[in-house]
Amino acid sequence: MTLAEGVQLVSFGLLAAMMIAAALGVVLLSNIVYSAFLLGIVFVSISGMYVLLNAGFVAAAQILIYVGAVNVLILFGIMLVNKREDFAPVRRAWLGKVATGAVCLGLFALLSTMVLGTPWALSSEAAIGDGATVMIGLHFFSDFLLPFELASVLLLIALVGAIILARREFIPDEMPQDTVGDALKLPERPRELVPASRDGAES
Amino acid sequence: MDFSALAAQLNAGAILPEGIVIITLITVLVGDLIGGRASSRWTPYLAIAGLFAAIVALVYQWDTANPIAFLGGFNSDALSVVFRGIIVLSAMITVPMSIRYVEQSGTSLAEFIVILMTATLGGMVLSGADELVTIFVALETLSISSYLLTGYMKRDPRSNEAALKYLLIGAASSAIFLYGVSLLYGLSGGQTRLSAIAAQLAADSSDAPIGLVVALVFVIAGIAFKIAAVPFHQWTPDVYEGSPTPVVAFLSVGSKAAGFALAIRLLVSVFPLVSEQWHFVFTALAILSMVLGNVVALAQTSMKRLLAYSSIAQAGFVMIGLIVGTEAGYASMVFYLLVYLFMNLGGFTCVILFSLRTGTDQISEYSGLYQKDPLLTLGLSICLLSLGGIPPLAGFFGKLYIFWAGWQAGAYGLVLVGLITSVISIYYYIRVIKMMVVKEPQEMSDSVKNYPPMRWNLPGMRPLQVSLVVALVATSLAGILSNPLFTLANDSITHTPLLKAAIAEQAAAMVSHTETVETIAIAPQ
Amino acid sequence: MSQGIDLQSSFVQLLVQLGLPPGAAKALWMPLPMTLILIAATVSIFVTVWLERKISAAAQQRIGPEYAGPLGTLQAAADGIKLLFKEDIVPAKADALLFTLGPAIVVIPVFLSYLIVPFGQNMVITDIGVGIFLWIALSSITPIGLLMSGYSSNNKYSLLGGLRAAAQSISYELPLALSVLAVVMMSNSLSTIDIVQQQSGYGILGWNVWRQPVGFLIFWIAALAECERLPFDLPEAEEELVAGYQTEYTGMKFGLFYVGSYVNLVLSSLIFAILYLGGWDFPIPIDWVAGALGVSETTPWLQVVFAALGIMMTVLKAYLLVFLAVLLRWTVPRVRIDQLLDLGWKFLLPVSLVNLLLTAALKITFPIAFGG
Repeated sequence: MTLAEGVQLVSFGLLAAMMIAAALGVVLLSNIVYSAFLLGIVFVSISGMYVLLNAGFVAAAQILIYVGAVNVLILFGIMLVNKREDFAPVRRAWLGKVATGAVCLGLFALLSTMVLGTPWALSSEAAIGDGATVMIGLHFFSDFLLPFELASVLLLIALVGAIILARREFIPDEMPQDTVGDALKLPERPRELVPASRDGAES
Repeated sequence: MDFSALAAQLNAGAILPEGIVIITLITVLVGDLIGGRASSRWTPYLAIAGLFAAIVALVYQWDTANPIAFLGGFNSDALSVVFRGIIVLSAMITVPMSIRYVEQSGTSLAEFIVILMTATLGGMVLSGADELVTIFVALETLSISSYLLTGYMKRDPRSNEAALKYLLIGAASSAIFLYGVSLLYGLSGGQTRLSAIAAQLAADSSDAPIGLVVALVFVIAGIAFKIAAVPFHQWTPDVYEGSPTPVVAFLSVGSKAAGFALAIRLLVSVFPLVSEQWHFVFTALAILSMVLGNVVALAQTSMKRLLAYSSIAQAGFVMIGLIVGTEAGYASMVFYLLVYLFMNLGGFTCVILFSLRTGTDQISEYSGLYQKDPLLTLGLSICLLSLGGIPPLAGFFGKLYIFWAGWQAGAYGLVLVGLITSVISIYYYIRVIKMMVVKEPQEMSDSVKNYPPMRWNLPGMRPLQVSLVVALVATSLAGILSNPLFTLANDSITHTPLLKAAIAEQAAAMVSHTETVETIAIAPQ
Repeated sequence: MSQGIDLQSSFVQLLVQLGLPPGAAKALWMPLPMTLILIAATVSIFVTVWLERKISAAAQQRIGPEYAGPLGTLQAAADGIKLLFKEDIVPAKADALLFTLGPAIVVIPVFLSYLIVPFGQNMVITDIGVGIFLWIALSSITPIGLLMSGYSSNNKYSLLGGLRAAAQSISYELPLALSVLAVVMMSNSLSTIDIVQQQSGYGILGWNVWRQPVGFLIFWIAALAECERLPFDLPEAEEELVAGYQTEYTGMKFGLFYVGSYVNLVLSSLIFAILYLGGWDFPIPIDWVAGALGVSETTPWLQVVFAALGIMMTVLKAYLLVFLAVLLRWTVPRVRIDQLLDLGWKFLLPVSLVNLLLTAALKITFPIAFGG
């Protein structure tokens, strides 16, 4: 399904404006919750771009992963530790902001000259559209097999690591008579541990 | 595509060592899940056995007839074999030295080993990756497991801080690297294999497009973060100081070696068009790393921070080999990394031992250690002297080879900077040794006065001792009996088709290039 | 396989014959099915609410609504009008913008998901390649709206309710997606049309229920949890959280949550019917029926009859499931939040993974029965 040229152009303009405005909001707003919600809009706009590029599967995956998982987790994180704190105003804060802005503008100028000045090698192949799902699968199991399988190990370890970082350690109530105690010591000494006898089921 | 035909094309045997590592780590993970805490008696040894098996498999991969696997995604040539070997070896030495440390800190050992092995796996795949997606996934595997390892002592606020810093800076550098890689994808018209990209870029234009230069800068930012080259080094001292010491040992060797492997493969194969530019950038990085690393190390009071700056400086030395780009240059890189592996890991083993005994890593606390623990003093002295490049230890020959290769290729300025800064480095290494050896008994520090008696029979201490002795023997003997290592390093370069072509090209463009390097190198003095 | 009737091409042809250019005729056609579906979805709320009230009453041996309209059928309309005319209160310290946006974000994805619900061979708004995946993706947006309304209410019960809702829907999305994936694997396509067609041919015997006995149970449990129906209505468990994220809402904003939850229930039932109960398929294959009647399948009047029958079958199956959901509401006690998460992560997820692997293995072993 290819939309007519005009519709494409208008949708592109709308999506781009939405994305840029939301992205600026993410960076510039001081309320972090707003930033997080605006981030969701950025992700949705990117997904719209994928639709315009005839990549429906990628668009849906973008929504599922970035909006449905990443953004929700970010919001979760923010809401669980939403500690309002008044920071002392930094003196000459505008100086840093101006410098940051100048660096960003410079980077933008550099990248846009680069984008405009480079003879991009455009692929002449037509977009595959709805057949993309099959094609992606074929690539995953032929020339991208190694990264695909490696990513599974990566995800497994990320999962294990997240659990390690998040779980509470339980120590037995009476320490086993440990002869090691005085012979070895470490700066990374365990501090407040949760005793095992208290019911640890509540979470 | 037929399944059996596909299986034959994949040539999956090329990743047999990686497969062994994966199987081992899953066995450790599941074994720990079933066996509970008691499993920590055998899991480290299983991990060591698995890593050893991976090394054996790597030996059999040497000079394989068909190195290209996964339809061009993975290249198991001699260069990748030797770098994978370095990474596995560093993990293999790190595991025994971490057993006691992790147990002592009250965290679980099996997960630590599993994450360490995943980092190893990421580094191994990165060394052989010949395709952009594989490179990125491998890089992320290495990075994410490194972040996890850094924050593993989660009850220690310094470890948390280190992990957070590492994560934030690392994520930023990954993003920049990814941007550069995506530019490469676009410039080549949708190719992801490095050889295809290079071919496409060469076919498109003879002069370097600006997009390629931007891609180069971004890619270098990612690589320089991994090898901790100045000015991408800011994370190093804080992360090294805060993270668990065995992790630092691995990061300073394994992770760095993977970064160098990536640098060689990516820069040499994809960026010949902007060869002058990347040589220029790396010359600057090397000089900055050597000067800043060595000078700032003078002022350190913490042993781990000292070793952090020393590792930055060492990366600067290794970069000389990459910049000169001759056969001897690459070979000296490999040789130096091999030597550096033993001496640096040996040094970290001693630091672990000392901090296990005393709970501190301040340099001033080492004073008078000679009276209480001669073995530790001897080990640390040898490793530090070797890092400083004192003959006849291994480090001397490593540096000699690098400087010789640089001199041969005409990079006089770089070599001079290297020589001067390594003299500086000797000062701060010797300072520590002086502290340990020379002090009178009444000048002993408090921690040394209360030094607990030697007890090697505690669980987990034996492996620590073994890895210390192995590192020490290697450091002392690798210098004198360095011939096999030399041959290995040289063979790994001459047997790599990619580098052979690059060296030939380099030799052709030698004259003009040397002048550039020279002028640049001399300028800062 | 008969292609059924193609309303779009007939409509376009009709207009072209009347003298319109084909482009304009197509443009005229485009809003029609969307409006129709929108109206159908809204009407389905009335039916569902009425069903819920009546069945609940029957389960408790009451009569239920009986004065508003015949048999109380207009009760839902009365409810809706009441909500419309209620004062719309925004709590003083609430974040007014997010407070208003929240319910909208909850409802919009649900209505959007109707894009891919087929009622017949050509009776679907768009038959896009990613089909069922779009539904999964869209349904993952809902938690953002819930978090938004929970946060902006500036009320601890609301915030807790919002967080619970988000946690719940993330946890149950995984088994849901995995059980859908098993079906997709058998039909070699993500398109909802293909999924139904793969089940047709043997009547009731060809439906996926028989081939996915574990999958459909997981799907139903996860779908109930996604809709926040009892026994999984933790986010609004009134004993603990007043009314969860809805606590501060009144008037039509509350009405939007209400609408959203019922439309979502109907949608999930429809998708269930499509994935496991053969969608618009008649329990007896229609070509048998056509053969028995001695009429050719391509006869126009028969096609119209079959199309109508197909819509009826889909809706009937969906309402059967709604009935089941209401019945479950009054027979199963609510689970505790930790039990809920345990069930999702430690039971449903592994089981659905095993189900997926088993399906893959069976597909290789018996390609005929499991869609080779």
